[in-house]
Amino acid sequence: MLVKDCMTRHPILIPPSTPAAEAQQIMTESNIRHLPVVGPGKRLLGLVTRQRLALEAGQLSSLSVWEITRYLSRLTAGDIMIRAGEVITISPDRTVERAARTMTENKIGCLPVIEDEIVVGILTEHDLLRAFQAMLGMPSPGVRVIMRMPDRKGEFAKLSRALAANNMGVMGIGVYPTPRLPGFYDMVVKISDATLDEVREALSQVEDQEIVDIREAV
Amino acid sequence: MISPNPEMPPVLRIDNLAVAYKVRGGEVEAVQNVTFEIYRGETHAIVGESGCGKSTVAWAIVNFLGANGYVKRGSIKFQGQELVGRSGEDLRRLRGDQIAMVYQDPMQALNPSMLLGDQMKEVLTVHRGMSDEEAQERCVKMLERVYMPDPANVMQRYPHQISGGQQQRVVIAMALLNNPALLIMDEPTTALDVTVEAAVLDLIAELRRDFDTAIMFITHNLGVVARVANRVGVMYAGEMVERATVEQIYHHPQHPYTQGLMRCVPRLGADKSTSLLYPIRGRVPPPNNRPAGCIYHPRCDYARDRCREERPSLRQLPSGTLVRCHFSEEIDPALWKPSEELELPKAQAEAQDAEPILVVNNLKKYYPVSGSGLKDVLGLGRKRFVKALENVSFAVPKGKTLGVVGESGCGKSTLIKTLIGLEDATEGKAEFLGFDITGEIQQRDLRLIQEMQMVFQNPDSTMNPSYTIGQQIARPMLRFGTVPKDQVRSEVIRLLDAMRLGESYYDRLPRQLSGGEKQRVGIARALASRPDLVLCDEPVSALDVSVQAAILNLLMEVQHTLGTTLIFIAHDLSVVRFFSDYVAVMYLGQIVEIGPAEAIYSPPYHPYTEALLSAVPVPDPSVKVKHIRLEGTVPSAISPPSGCRFHTRCPRRSLLPDPEVCQSEPPWRSFGNQHRIYCHLSPETLSSFDPVMTTGR
Repeated sequence: MLVKDCMTRHPILIPPSTPAAEAQQIMTESNIRHLPVVGPGKRLLGLVTRQRLALEAGQLSSLSVWEITRYLSRLTAGDIMIRAGEVITISPDRTVERAARTMTENKIGCLPVIEDEIVVGILTEHDLLRAFQAMLGMPSPGVRVIMRMPDRKGEFAKLSRALAANNMGVMGIGVYPTPRLPGFYDMVVKISDATLDEVREALSQVEDQEIVDIREAV
Repeated sequence: MISPNPEMPPVLRIDNLAVAYKVRGGEVEAVQNVTFEIYRGETHAIVGESGCGKSTVAWAIVNFLGANGYVKRGSIKFQGQELVGRSGEDLRRLRGDQIAMVYQDPMQALNPSMLLGDQMKEVLTVHRGMSDEEAQERCVKMLERVYMPDPANVMQRYPHQISGGQQQRVVIAMALLNNPALLIMDEPTTALDVTVEAAVLDLIAELRRDFDTAIMFITHNLGVVARVANRVGVMYAGEMVERATVEQIYHHPQHPYTQGLMRCVPRLGADKSTSLLYPIRGRVPPPNNRPAGCIYHPRCDYARDRCREERPSLRQLPSGTLVRCHFSEEIDPALWKPSEELELPKAQAEAQDAEPILVVNNLKKYYPVSGSGLKDVLGLGRKRFVKALENVSFAVPKGKTLGVVGESGCGKSTLIKTLIGLEDATEGKAEFLGFDITGEIQQRDLRLIQEMQMVFQNPDSTMNPSYTIGQQIARPMLRFGTVPKDQVRSEVIRLLDAMRLGESYYDRLPRQLSGGEKQRVGIARALASRPDLVLCDEPVSALDVSVQAAILNLLMEVQHTLGTTLIFIAHDLSVVRFFSDYVAVMYLGQIVEIGPAEAIYSPPYHPYTEALLSAVPVPDPSVKVKHIRLEGTVPSAISPPSGCRFHTRCPRRSLLPDPEVCQSEPPWRSFGNQHRIYCHLSPETLSSFDPVMTTGR
């Protein structure tokens, strides 16, 4: 899965002249936390986040009560945004795991997706969480199994042969090193159109592998 | 692709919108209380008859209402940002970047004096400041995306050098160049042939999926809606009366108006002997004179006192449908009976095989074309012809209807013009009541002219705007002397009554009539000389569905009482199926299949008929239609392909053991009951084709 497959296309975009108050309103009404600021032709100029809208206490104390109102009413998205040079972005052809890595490394919640300097989409934590669900076959019901297998070649082939022999289809799959047990891998497989017992029956025959967990899941 | 995120805010949210136009003596609210939203990757259709405010809503979104129009109430929010009251500069930026529109007539959206390439590149160079080469490359890519053949070459052409379907593709490609979040399409396929329309609709569905664009799709064609839309809003007289998913609208319409619309269109496979069309009585009220209470009550069969006093609000039913009706739970469309006032044609008695009234044999019509070379100017060049009709043969029994279908440019209209004498035939025989009618109309006997009349597509352009209706209908009577002079007036009134117009129309002028009424006058005029044969050239194409149903009923009634024979041209194949006894399918000047209507619409098919049927938008989302799309365009009639003219595009050609045989004249394959197919494929192969449409329900 690449960034372009799971990003949100056509994100809400604002021009830098938008008053900060309106930007805040758009975020609240649309229930979003990031607003890319663009110039003509959807060229990225910056990014407004919820944190950016929060005024810094230091700044406030330097202003008198009367000045605050005026200061706030003149504030535009262009004043408060993170400027384009500092915004971390991603290209639509990168992988999702790369995007996730960039986000965790920089501790950020959103990556504007840029192609030829133009905003084509936005990738947020939400999008990644949905991608994660999709990879494990989330919205449709089926039997979810965790198989534990030794870390050597040919183990997955054995499992898939067992699935093929029983005419079972896979709608989601994920594999990771078994936590706290070096030398083993756990594989989550979600199987459609089969009952719990059929799956248990079919997969318990696989040599050297063990069903760690099996359940019917949606 | 991950399924769309339901929590996402809508791309477009229209709330309680009212649009008013300032006119002499006040203002008119063209649109009232319209509320809907469109989400990412969704096609939301807006349907309704003409004049109900569909386009006004679209224009309000892009602030294109003209000098006298303005948004009176309500809000239009695009991507969370209010559009009402924005400055022109802001709107221009939003429109160019994120909202794109595609209109009905592609030729009007393209600049005729600029190369297509330059027009397309402008979108990128102006809005994005892109360099010329880069823009060129992107445009070519986008043209490829909309399946334009030879895109780099097309960029070097002018709009008039490509076909209508290709023009619309260029317009759609242009609209998508900036990857808009919202695409507004106002009747984008209405001006196109069914086969081209089908290809454009496929393209729209595909682009919506790939680009996640929200599409607002305005149309009056219920078949098109069933093919493209996810959700549908039905508008009536400026209000949205029902909003639901496409399945709900077609299978469980809640509002009486929606139910009425569904009864106006011929159902799949319906014909006039087994079913009836029920027009909606009355007409849409003008915006400055809307009734109090429910806006639809004067035409509603269920209206009660409450409907006359209290305006219903748009409320949600348990099924999720939003409807503007007080009593929609109590209405069961299955129990619906046509009201007494509605005049319906009596069921047709199955007539015995009558004598053929019109016999056409190997009729040819060639138009000479003059070349521009020196030789041609001097008259030395080889004479070239547009072969508009080639070996057309058929016979129409008395009192029956022959429907003629085919893409534009296939010779349907030439056939009719040749028969009526507006053009003389080049070769062949045509006999009407035993008289030869291949010559020009000047040489025809007055009696012969009287027996053959015509109804035109556009009643506006065939009526003298300064003559009253009465004078126009009386003219053929006086000319042919069918009625004694002192009885002409009473005869005209009798005809007006038969057309359900009444005496009060006698002194009116054409501009005081609606489109449907004008078409009735056109029919009355054609019938004034009591002809035996009436040629109808697309008589209902320009009309709304409810008016169309009324006109079709009227024509059937006329045929039933007077025993008139009809030749009926239409591009809507379900209407032809419904209305005709016999159908002829034409391609490039030739009849490729002819036979009784029900035989044409079920296997065996000519491969062209099969493709044509699979392109027809069916007003039922549960119907599965075989996906056959013809490649390329109709070849030029100046140098048509030799042998079977369809062989260059034939999708079934590979079934022949020797495809080269198509270069020679195909034989007529006969299937009994006068059903003939002009094809090289063996009758067994033709019979083995699956039906084009199957109901999924």
